[in-house]
Amino acid sequence: MLLALHGVSKRFGALQALRDVTCELDGRAVGLLGPNGAGKTTLMRACLGLLTPDAGEVRVLGIDARRDPGAVRMRLGYAAEGPHRIPGLSGLESVAYAGELCGLSRRTALLRAHEILDLVGLDEARQRPVEEYSTGMHQRVKLGMALVHDPELLMLDEPTSGLDPGNRDELLQLLVRLREGDGPAVLLSTHLLHDVERVCDTCIIMDRGQVRYAGSLEQLRARMGDDEHVLRGEGDLAGLASALAQAGHAVAPGERPDALRVRLIPGHGPEAIWRAAQAVGASLWQVQRRGQRLEDAFMAAIDGGGAEHRGEERARS
Amino acid sequence: MKDQVFSVGYRRLPGDRPRRWAPWPIARTALALAWRKRSTKLGVVLCAMSVFGHGIAIAAQVLAERVMGRMGDRDGPGVMRDVLRSVVGNVHATLATFIGMQMIACAFLLAMVAAGLVAEDRRTGAMELYFSRPLRRRDYVVGKLLAAGLVPLVTLVVPFSLLWLAAVGMAPARASQELMGLLLPGLLGAVVAAVVLTTTILGLSALGERGRTVGVIYVVGMLVLTSAGADLPRHGQAWAGYLSPLRNVQTLADAALDAGSTGMLMQLLISRPDTNPSVTLAVLCLLGLAGLGMALLLWRVRTEVAG
Repeated sequence: MLLALHGVSKRFGALQALRDVTCELDGRAVGLLGPNGAGKTTLMRACLGLLTPDAGEVRVLGIDARRDPGAVRMRLGYAAEGPHRIPGLSGLESVAYAGELCGLSRRTALLRAHEILDLVGLDEARQRPVEEYSTGMHQRVKLGMALVHDPELLMLDEPTSGLDPGNRDELLQLLVRLREGDGPAVLLSTHLLHDVERVCDTCIIMDRGQVRYAGSLEQLRARMGDDEHVLRGEGDLAGLASALAQAGHAVAPGERPDALRVRLIPGHGPEAIWRAAQAVGASLWQVQRRGQRLEDAFMAAIDGGGAEHRGEERARS
Repeated sequence: MKDQVFSVGYRRLPGDRPRRWAPWPIARTALALAWRKRSTKLGVVLCAMSVFGHGIAIAAQVLAERVMGRMGDRDGPGVMRDVLRSVVGNVHATLATFIGMQMIACAFLLAMVAAGLVAEDRRTGAMELYFSRPLRRRDYVVGKLLAAGLVPLVTLVVPFSLLWLAAVGMAPARASQELMGLLLPGLLGAVVAAVVLTTTILGLSALGERGRTVGVIYVVGMLVLTSAGADLPRHGQAWAGYLSPLRNVQTLADAALDAGSTGMLMQLLISRPDTNPSVTLAVLCLLGLAGLGMALLLWRVRTEVAG
């Protein structure tokens, strides 16, 4: 089991950063998804034992992070968000230093640093001071520092933020290679769904300090039910919407005034739409089936949570 | 090309690794980074010049002692011997002065080497980088103390021992016997000075967020305290002497080494700090200052990291 969280809560003054977080996750690559301020970084810091939760239990790789943070960190590699660095050190020295802090001998750390920098694709620039690095080079060095001591779990906080498409693609490619090869399991915290879709097989969706979903990406997509149809046309679209809704289909307004989004009851095909349109006298010029994207599933999870949250707020007031 | 780079692959490290003492890489890296700065090298030169100057003075005093010994053998106690002693001074006073003067040079060097040890870690986010490794707060604090403490150790405590060794080695047999007893009290004074310097710079660094600013505040603060400690007692405020760490260290060193006159030559070359009336109070003030620095350092690390 990579992560097991039971009733984890953390408050910073008036802000409830984590709210009774409970989930258990396993797999080779886990995505930690959520909008900014969802509590992703707080959760990662709690996993590292860098902050103590007000309540609950955090177990990482079977170890209680509160009781033995040293053992957890020995088996974890963490790359924080932001320009964390030691000015004056070169990329090579930074990675070797990180290795030494994790218990490698000086010689082993230096050899390993060369090996890891080859892996992350930092070539001659490794000898230059880190202050001179571009964002892409920084991310590579941070990844190298997280990997140098051969961790069992790699925790990356927004590793692709600020990267150009080329660098981002290379970094994600590397994470996929780590997942598929002998590398450590990956916990990837991001608000970019594409990154999770490309690298991860499992995900946690967080919003306002709460877990909205924890499980595989496939299950998340399946939870959304049947595919959605996007309709465009003219005439009595409002009548068409109510006729479809009366028949039990889920109808939502489209992105344009002349569009509707319809999720049909399982077992029904697009002919149900055509029949309803004929009955109310609406003429449709487009009925397009759209497969469920992770983005939709994510938004549904967040929206569901938002509605819950608004309900709680109303109840409190 | 990219495929070649990525084709290296990930290699697992073999077996369990023994837990190594983490403070040493922290201290070594901090000192290596400091050594890359030109200002640090200038500070080292300043310290070396101070050691060299005091070494010359001690050599002159020991030679004078030999000459006085011969004069004493031939002519008995006389005016010439007293004149010579008042001009060149004695080794006790020079060793005591060395501790005080070297403390100033060392404070300058520490401002360049150690002012950013904690402050820069906070500014650059390196603190999180450290504590996401299997480091305890204790390892971090000891590493930083070691990095800062090695500076006064190498520029103050070790040179004091070398000067003492030179004095004992060159002195005539009778004087040599007397000088032997100076080592432990002298080392006590030097170590207290080193501890005060180390903890105060780290305490200040724990408060600041920029190494350069902390360094300037440290040096200016030391100068202000030193001049307040020197001037206010002349205007009847004797208590103010205890504000000056330099004056307190000089008080302790003089008492420990039983220093007499530094001699006219030394007085011409160096403006030696005055001393405070109470050695006990001076030591208490120094220990209080060191305790404050240490408390600030521990408080900062505790507030930055929970586990």
